[in-house]
Amino acid sequence: MENILEMKNIVKEFDNCTALHEVDFSLKKGEIVAIIGPSGSGKSSLLRCINGLNTITSGSIELRGTTGMVFQHFNLFPHMTCIKNVAYAPIKVKKMDKEEAYKKGMELLDMVGLASKADDYPNHLSGGQKQRVAIARALAMEPDIMLFDEATSALDPEITGEVLEVMKRLAEEHMTMVVVTHEMGFAREVADRVVFMDHGKVVEEGTPEEIFENPKNERLKSFLSTVIRA
Amino acid sequence: MSEIIGYMPLLMDGLLITLVIFALTLIFSLPLGLPIALGEEVKFKPLAYLCRAYVWIFRGTPLMLQLFFFYFFFPIVLNIRLDALPTAILTFILNYAAYFAEIYRGGFKSIDRGQHEAAFALGLSKRQTMFGILLPQTMKAILPPVFNEVITLVKDTALVMSIGGVADIMKNANSIVNRTSSITPLVVAGAIYLILTFLLTIGANKIERYFGRYDQRGDQ
Repeated sequence: MENILEMKNIVKEFDNCTALHEVDFSLKKGEIVAIIGPSGSGKSSLLRCINGLNTITSGSIELRGTTGMVFQHFNLFPHMTCIKNVAYAPIKVKKMDKEEAYKKGMELLDMVGLASKADDYPNHLSGGQKQRVAIARALAMEPDIMLFDEATSALDPEITGEVLEVMKRLAEEHMTMVVVTHEMGFAREVADRVVFMDHGKVVEEGTPEEIFENPKNERLKSFLSTVIRA
Repeated sequence: MSEIIGYMPLLMDGLLITLVIFALTLIFSLPLGLPIALGEEVKFKPLAYLCRAYVWIFRGTPLMLQLFFFYFFFPIVLNIRLDALPTAILTFILNYAAYFAEIYRGGFKSIDRGQHEAAFALGLSKRQTMFGILLPQTMKAILPPVFNEVITLVKDTALVMSIGGVADIMKNANSIVNRTSSITPLVVAGAIYLILTFLLTIGANKIERYFGRYDQRGDQ
């Protein structure tokens, strides 16, 4: 299968630190990659280089498709109802007919189980509901790749499930996904490939079995022992 | 009472002038503040400094001084004869635009960076982000301070008396006082200002509530 994304020798420097040290990352169409690693390891920086939210200092990116992003803090537009949040970009960016955009938006809200909240403002929703609307909003632009930046990290543990369920459904529909996450269960169960990052580098990558059952790198082993308490 | 009725027409004439100054100042200074606010944040440094200097000067010197300055500036420096009323309105516009610019700038800063990021990730253009995402949210943050300035403006219009030649409420009330040696015209003029600011306050509350509607917790 062809690579939909190819990143080579990516370096990202911020004012006083280097977030990414010559990272290579590629993605196949339909592939689901989970990026794991401790805080500050460069996971989010790498993800944000994919869609240009971070501009790279050096390296090359070849992206053959469009991206949609889901953020840790949802970033819904608070002055718009849920349906308008979802329909706004298709209307403005794709110049989609308003009626069609709302109809499609309703289907997406229905898909994430929130059709009944269409006319509510985001501040009336719970965190899990907000994130599901945010997923619908990103999907409305029909991206080729969905980027999830710690999509469940800001949620209470008991409601991460409803968001992970939606993400699993997307995975079953063979959506190409890059998921930066602390949810090891999700990475293990859903991802085709798991990438472990530490100190701005990809330290180890492989199938979930390789990473979780048979980790080779010492830092990966110690990371897994701290996050997996079971 | 008959005394008041006697000079009421003069005060009403003054009220009209006051309202003209007030309305024209707002019509021009409210929009003018926006490019100044945006200019203060642009990457092109000379323009940013120019806008900041503008705000600094107009907010940092007395409005009355600015009135005198422009009153003499046009005839003496530019050799243009400009009547007191347009001079005053122009000065108010320039002065209030600086205050509004500062309020707008604060409003933009109050918006979470995530809003920019979400708009960017969805592919919205800078223009679409500005007018569809940022400005509507800014409204909620800026309206209270903007209305504060609007109410101050009602009272500031009385400063035109200092350059003479503009017969607003204050000036007319003062001339009646001088003629009749009664201070009731000042009381009546004060009451007119109070009514104006009272009406504005009611209007302000209504508009603020409209733009804040998405934050009120509704029935779930």
